[in-house]
Amino acid sequence: MTRVTEMKQINSIGGQELREMFAAATGWLEKSSADIDALNVFPVPDGDTGTNMLLTMRSTIEEAYRAPDRSAAAVAQAMAKGALMGARGNSGVILSQILRGLAQNLAAKESFNAADLASALQESSVMAYKGISNPVEGTMLTVIKDVAKAVAAEVASNGRDLVSVMEAAVNAAGESVANTPNLLEVLREAGVVDAGGQGLHTILDGALRYLRGEMEQMRFRKPQIIITDLHATKLPQMIAADEVPYGYCTEFLLKGEKLDTDKIKKKLEKKGESLIVVGDDSAARIHIHTLEPGDIIAYASSLGTLHQVSIRNMDEQHQDYLEMQKAKGPAVDTAIVAVVAGEGLADVFTSLGVTAIVPGGQTMNPSTKDLLQAVEGVASDKVIILPNNKNIIATASQVQSLTEKKIEVVPTTTIPQGVAALLAFDYEADLEANISIMARAISAIKTVEICRAVRSAKLGDLQIRKKQPIGFLDGDLVAVGESALEVLNKMLSKLDLNKIEVITIYYGDDTKSEEAEQVASDIRNRYPQLQIEVVKGGQPHYNYIISIE
Amino acid sequence: MTVEIVTDSLSDITPEFAKELGVTVVPLYVRFGEEVYRDRVEITTDEFYHKLVHGDIFPTTTQPSPGDFITVYKKLAKKTDEILVITVSGVLSGTYQSAMQAKSMVEDKCRIEVIDSRKVAMSLGLIVIEAAKAAKAGAGLDELADWVRKAIHRSHLVVYFDTLKYLAKGGRIGKAQGLLGAMLSIKPILTIKDGEMAPLTRVRSPAAGLDYLYNFVPGFSKVEALAVEHATTPDEADELVRRLSAIFPKERIYRSIVSPVLGTHAGPNALALTVLEAE
Repeated sequence: MTRVTEMKQINSIGGQELREMFAAATGWLEKSSADIDALNVFPVPDGDTGTNMLLTMRSTIEEAYRAPDRSAAAVAQAMAKGALMGARGNSGVILSQILRGLAQNLAAKESFNAADLASALQESSVMAYKGISNPVEGTMLTVIKDVAKAVAAEVASNGRDLVSVMEAAVNAAGESVANTPNLLEVLREAGVVDAGGQGLHTILDGALRYLRGEMEQMRFRKPQIIITDLHATKLPQMIAADEVPYGYCTEFLLKGEKLDTDKIKKKLEKKGESLIVVGDDSAARIHIHTLEPGDIIAYASSLGTLHQVSIRNMDEQHQDYLEMQKAKGPAVDTAIVAVVAGEGLADVFTSLGVTAIVPGGQTMNPSTKDLLQAVEGVASDKVIILPNNKNIIATASQVQSLTEKKIEVVPTTTIPQGVAALLAFDYEADLEANISIMARAISAIKTVEICRAVRSAKLGDLQIRKKQPIGFLDGDLVAVGESALEVLNKMLSKLDLNKIEVITIYYGDDTKSEEAEQVASDIRNRYPQLQIEVVKGGQPHYNYIISIE
Repeated sequence: MTVEIVTDSLSDITPEFAKELGVTVVPLYVRFGEEVYRDRVEITTDEFYHKLVHGDIFPTTTQPSPGDFITVYKKLAKKTDEILVITVSGVLSGTYQSAMQAKSMVEDKCRIEVIDSRKVAMSLGLIVIEAAKAAKAGAGLDELADWVRKAIHRSHLVVYFDTLKYLAKGGRIGKAQGLLGAMLSIKPILTIKDGEMAPLTRVRSPAAGLDYLYNFVPGFSKVEALAVEHATTPDEADELVRRLSAIFPKERIYRSIVSPVLGTHAGPNALALTVLEAE
């Protein structure tokens, strides 16, 4: 019943095939260039990486058709020239360096085999790093480096089939792209992978599909954008704010005689950011983000003639990017603002889709002004506030009278109630329906909070000594004990656990994770049917905040 | 002549049921490494989920080729002169493209109408089932196509996911991407909107998911039919049917299993409910 797909094996590639392969890859890139634009946050969130890479590839392919003969060497040389002449933006320039490395290594070759490709990609990787004045990991550079490494390993172990070598390249690129957020903070914050790396993956993937003979299928399909499973911790607007001022993105092609790219690079290094100088002694491509584009142009024109000069105001580019992000964002017109203390808890709320966090909680109540600022700062006209503390509900309710926006306060009095309300948010329901859905979610949850007594006291039957752990159930002091675990167990024993499925333990800033794990494993042993989760909440005051649902 | 109804395997209409209805189901393909299977034809749902959960190769999926549709069109053209093709959402799969391309390549007197349902699983399946009944009752192609286009807006899908890992891996996550990366273990509940997956809400346990699916039904005043499907958890699905049959006639609750190609993206433990509103 099984159909085995026919395996196509290719041992060598000539010039004509090299060109067709990259032409197919360019077509493939074209299909996702807009998606790649939307990923772009580094080095500047201007949202044009996909377009830049595509334009660079188009110029590459046009020139490839002008190659003097059909040898791999001639076509690769022409491609490198086309890429250099047509390179746009940072990513385009790095791409041109990659192609240049390829061309240098394939010089004088009629065709190339797997081993040639491995050594050419190695050269590409070296050239790519060389072109950038301060290389950053977690970008296209890392991806080409990882690809070169994987290809070398594949060739060393498996030999000659270029299809399987390209498969190794695409797989390595995919993994490398997926890993970029771990290497580059700004990607992690935005919850995206590197756009240039993604572009490179798409190009390699297109080339592989061509080699596999899948041209027909490619017509109806779209390249896959690699997804990071990290959630954005910052909104696009916030990332942008970290990186001003921008100045002008200045790029051009310099033609002359005996150009010294190293010297030019040195000269321009202090004039701006993201400097790239690549090329040879007759043509160099220069890219820089600078506040003084005039100085750059004046200097360069003393060395030769300038072509394809482009000076763009990056603040404007940036505005376009923000608009694009807005258009692309989820179609949720309701924002949620939550009052939360503790870094871990803030991360939890952010990862569950809260729009803005106002720091605060027990012993640290935010002002109406703090809340108003957060409300005014979000893009939506409808805002739900989760106060997460009974002393903040009144403050939150005052915000409505100070703003034009429509404000609803869901009266959450604890962190677990806030989380439950947030989770229950229905993306398809209107504001009114959501308020009642969220209110219902709150009533289905029990909150245990454990902290240390600040003084000795007698409360009903409870005799409390100073610093002894005490436990609150939904805000009422109900238990005291020698340890947090003892208090928790006293409280759990009073609850009807038949209706309970999930217990989440958020441990506080001054509570050790070992102790929290100990508490969790004790509950696990006692109640094996329950799902127990431990999260570092990092909250002040409470050693444990526990959600029981 | 009776209009022949064609759909694809992402309608989750089982081969046996298709035979009973007189519907032709064109299978997509699921591939584990070098092994390629026609969805639900060369691999059963049991075999598939076993491989998905216990195997170490992650499957990939492919749409039917235009050639697959041409074969079907030519075969059906021998007994009818009108064919209605209702495909899975064109945003999720290229099946609609293949069906359309095949249509342009078949030169015949037979009229072929291809509709992108913008739906998936039984939210497509229930439309196909009703269309097949109407075709048997003698409805013409134009009438049927018109009915289907309207029915699309009355078909509502809710899916409980154990994880979005598979959906993200297969590149079909759509508007639900925002639900990835939660720092608590959550179970997403999605729908299909404008042809792609979109978030509805999140719950924290399978039981809460089951409750959500159950509570989805009373939100509609007039219901034509319901469908309940499981991937690897038949007991949960049966339990849902049992609860629903207390508020809705059991004979109009269809029961199916998420097909291997869909299961590649939905993953184990997924549970789906479709509500087809009455006209």
